[in-house]
Amino acid sequence: MNALHRRTFLKQAGLSAATLPFITGLPSLGLAAPARPRQRLVFMFSPNGTIPAAYWPDAAGTDFQLKEIMTPLAAFKDRMLVLNGVNNKVRGDGDSHMRGMSCLLTGIELFPGNIMGGGGQPAGWASGISIDQEIKNHLQKSEDTRTRFGSLEFGVGVTDRADPWTRMSYAGANKPIAPISDPYQMYEKLYGQMKDKENLQSVLDTVKGDLQKVGKLISAVDRRLLEEHQALVRQMEKEIASASQKPLRAAPPTLNEGVADQNDNLPRLSRMQIDLLVNSFVNDMCRVATLQFTKSVGMARMNWLDIKDGHHSLSHEPDGNAEAVAKLTKINKWFAGELAYLVQKLSTTPEPGGEGMMLDHTLIVWTNELGKGNTHTLANIPFLLVGGAPGFKMGRSLQLENVAHNRLHLALAHALGHRLETFGKASLCDGGPLKLG
Amino acid sequence: MVVGLLLLSLCFTSSANAAGFSFFSRKPDGPAIYKQQCAKCHGPAGQGVKGKYTDPLVGDWSLEKLTRYIAKTMPEDKPGSCTGPHADAVARYIHDTFYSREARARAQTARVELVRLTNRQHLLSVADLFRATGEEPKVTAGKGLQAAGYKSARGTRREDRALDRTDRKIEFDFGTDRPQWAGEGTNGFALHWSGSVIADETGEHEFVVKAANGIRLWVNDDDKPLIDGSVSSAKGIEHRAGIRLIGGRAYPIRLEFFKAARDKIANVALLWQPPHGALQVIPARNLAPERATPTFILTTPFPADDSSVGYERGVSISKEWDEAVTHAAIEVATHAAKHLDRLTRGKASDSDRATKVEAFCAEFVTRAFRRPLTDEQRNLFVTQPLRSAAKLEDGVKRVVLLTLKSPRFLYLGLEGAGAQPDDFTVAERLSFGLWDSLPDTALTKAAAEGKLRTREQVAEQARRMLADARTRGKMQYFLHRWLQMNHIEDLTKDPSVFPGFTPEIIADLRTSLNLFLDDVVWTESSDYRRLLLEDDFFVNGRLAKFYGVTTEAAEDFTRVQLDPKQRSGVITHPYLLAAFSYNKSSSPIHRGVFLTRNIVGRALRPPPMAIAFKDGDFKPGMTMREKITELTRPQACQSCHSVINPLGFSLENFDAVGRFRDKDGNRPINAAADYTTDDGGIVRLKGARDIAEFAVKSEHAHNAFVEQLFSQVVKQPMPAYGPDVLNQLRLSFVQSGYNIQKLLVDIATVSALQGTEKPASTTKKKT
Repeated sequence: MNALHRRTFLKQAGLSAATLPFITGLPSLGLAAPARPRQRLVFMFSPNGTIPAAYWPDAAGTDFQLKEIMTPLAAFKDRMLVLNGVNNKVRGDGDSHMRGMSCLLTGIELFPGNIMGGGGQPAGWASGISIDQEIKNHLQKSEDTRTRFGSLEFGVGVTDRADPWTRMSYAGANKPIAPISDPYQMYEKLYGQMKDKENLQSVLDTVKGDLQKVGKLISAVDRRLLEEHQALVRQMEKEIASASQKPLRAAPPTLNEGVADQNDNLPRLSRMQIDLLVNSFVNDMCRVATLQFTKSVGMARMNWLDIKDGHHSLSHEPDGNAEAVAKLTKINKWFAGELAYLVQKLSTTPEPGGEGMMLDHTLIVWTNELGKGNTHTLANIPFLLVGGAPGFKMGRSLQLENVAHNRLHLALAHALGHRLETFGKASLCDGGPLKLG
Repeated sequence: MVVGLLLLSLCFTSSANAAGFSFFSRKPDGPAIYKQQCAKCHGPAGQGVKGKYTDPLVGDWSLEKLTRYIAKTMPEDKPGSCTGPHADAVARYIHDTFYSREARARAQTARVELVRLTNRQHLLSVADLFRATGEEPKVTAGKGLQAAGYKSARGTRREDRALDRTDRKIEFDFGTDRPQWAGEGTNGFALHWSGSVIADETGEHEFVVKAANGIRLWVNDDDKPLIDGSVSSAKGIEHRAGIRLIGGRAYPIRLEFFKAARDKIANVALLWQPPHGALQVIPARNLAPERATPTFILTTPFPADDSSVGYERGVSISKEWDEAVTHAAIEVATHAAKHLDRLTRGKASDSDRATKVEAFCAEFVTRAFRRPLTDEQRNLFVTQPLRSAAKLEDGVKRVVLLTLKSPRFLYLGLEGAGAQPDDFTVAERLSFGLWDSLPDTALTKAAAEGKLRTREQVAEQARRMLADARTRGKMQYFLHRWLQMNHIEDLTKDPSVFPGFTPEIIADLRTSLNLFLDDVVWTESSDYRRLLLEDDFFVNGRLAKFYGVTTEAAEDFTRVQLDPKQRSGVITHPYLLAAFSYNKSSSPIHRGVFLTRNIVGRALRPPPMAIAFKDGDFKPGMTMREKITELTRPQACQSCHSVINPLGFSLENFDAVGRFRDKDGNRPINAAADYTTDDGGIVRLKGARDIAEFAVKSEHAHNAFVEQLFSQVVKQPMPAYGPDVLNQLRLSFVQSGYNIQKLLVDIATVSALQGTEKPASTTKKKT
């Protein structure tokens, strides 16, 4: 949000509404049971396609076996919905990686632009909003689904560069949203004000004493103003104190200090970001989140798996290269493990003020910009759904017939209560929302 | 626009029995008559009576005029029963006891009040807290930006640099061509512009870059781009981002543009929409090739200041204000902690970091408090908060929070109130008077050396400070309030009546008026009379075309002379004429009220009843003058409208967009009117110039100008500075040839020295 819009917002919200939470802490968290059960949506992204043979279950229906890549999720098999046959059918400018990434959540063409990829025409940003932002905007519109941030965009090892390969969330045409890759920055965004409050609290006594002292310098008539001022400081002190008594549902996670944003720290960074993500959900700061591992064409070098090659280079190796296939399987399995960590946390955290566990009210979509790395296909994009949402019957593996991913986005929107008729490129929405119940 | 108002004033009513007058044979007793006949409605001291006549009996009519009025209209239910010596006596009593300005000054126990910083003062002070102590780079607006061209899109290698020049504006369309300087090749090319952008007015500035290629724009921040448009769209993208800027200051700006080899076309334009402005390519007069240093500008919104007495002043506080102060303090603290290395000129690994940071903090607090710290204060405001936090950054945040929430920062004249003002108080008064901000290094030094003791020393500092851009900012602040330009939001007129009066024209008019004001005030003569008499105006091509002025001006504004019989200074500037007009027609009432109060300096009471001007109420074919005459015909209206209307009518030659006209509809304009002066004399006005000529010779008008400048500068009641201060300031103003700059120095000096033991001033008396 740029300064202009932020201030317009402040104006609309009224000064007090804008400043008070800043001072007294966080939005009211005395969370009574919500009028309607909360529903959350997470998009998790990992790049460079998958290894289909090690990913897609052979059987369709409820009775299916997990392949190697998905084994970390074995405990949640009955919470999974595997969607084979969903294609990113958006064409136009940009290479497959670019369209794979920037059309993944937008479902609409890229503008022609100055970014030249490995093929196709040079392209620019996506020409429309992404589904996560569309849903977030919808939720923020009404009182009972509005949260402090609406959505949070987490990154893990996303290159500090803005181009169609690094952005999947869009606030609108030509409006990419940068994920926050630095957990400390994310922490500051979520909880910085608590530190501010603490700092503020530490000086208020001195401020009061100072007001008292300078009051003696001035005439009795003028002292009235300073007395009024002292009363305001006392009032603020009380408000902060009473706000502090309303504890957060979940205390902010303790982050290890000094984990630099670099390749070898990705495992630690990933866990820190997932901890923050779950924490932000418990404290109901947002209902929509994205978790983006590196970027399209990402070159993570997974030394911790004993893989010395960059991810993207490996993904170009032909199917016959058994060593590369094994490494890529390992890499994808590692991503599945990170997903499992997230799912595990949600499945063991009770839904705040509601029924069941948080996983029951959270739908996670793990996806990728390509179906397969060495063909750059946008068909059979890995779409794995975990968790729960109204209208979604989990515990299944589905074999769909060449459906546009726009229809999946429609289904997700409907599950979150946003009854869109089309999303992204309208002609790719024929047939309406995918029926996944 | 507000509705037209009927102004009704000085309306006495009598008690039932007014017959008592005839029984008096001895000399009539003014106070007794007042008590018996007037006090019931007007209150024992003329303060008004709720439910009867609520407004206080104050004004600026001469004793003679007041007497005539009473004799003719009072008591309300039996006019004509209090005449001759009776009217004389009661009028004299009223006039001398509470009605006249002199009486009010005598009665008032005006004092310099304890005030907090106004919002503007807070904003500017915070900005100056982070201002580098060294010399500001000299920035010459009007030349455009420094441009560097590169033969490749990457635009960083020295050997690719192929162009150095200054561009007056950034608006290029290369089409599919390659500019000549980029030579042959298929590499693409790049252009980098850098320099400063100068904001005219304070507020939100929306920057817009339109480009078919990659761009990045930095404004007032050398690190983080305001717009990152590295990824282009062949259709062209309009990038937009808003940023708050303080008027009258220069900010660093940098625009990088790169055409990649694969981009088919190349174009780029740098535009902005400044406050009160229209979206436009940033003109050369707002650009300079030299780079200014960044300014820290708070974004925290504050609740509006009290301006009930005609100027913004910090006499009251509220919970909202306290919260805004706190929010702002957190914003500043975050900034300081984030940029600690740059601010302390060190880095995290320095072995002496703690010492450097403590020194920075001490300097920060000293500047914020406008005076050296005692050991005790240093301990309280610097050492303790730094030590109280585990992390150094948090310690700094605590210092900043404490400082910006301290009354020593938030209030003016704390140490001077009650006691003898010291040198630092004098410095503070001077800098807040002239700049609405903190003293600079030179001024603080003068205070520390005891060089702010005599009137001449203080005036010398004031003269030095005149050259600073901040004084220009303050002067503009005053002029905009004097001419009520700060209230103007929307000048749009009915497009069917005034086609072509576009937002661009409106924005140009404001610029034209600003240029005119600057031109008059900041030339050496700085002659107030020119503000009213000048027949020169600034126009650009667009304005010239709309107003039918012949000039070669195109985009830039140039000065043209208009017919002096038609135009005369600010009162005939189309911006103000349009502002004081209705949507479809002129408004003699709005124009007249503005002229009465702000130009000729007469007091008007707020209208006790509001009557909307409805055009449909009048017979078709009537002129605006006839309509207003009819509307304000009742005797009740005439006490004020006999003054307002003639002034307003004399501008009837200007339509609602300020164009000169001979006819109103099909009827010829009659701009001649008889204006009744405060002592009852009649001045025949034939048009705008006659008002201006009258005002520049009128003591009332001079007083009004001096008083308004004083109020906006000092933000304290003038009578607190002595009963004679207005008179003295006016005399010196007249003697100086109506020099506005000198008047400003005088006002700043007088107010800065108020209450000091030995005012070496002849114009200064102790209260």
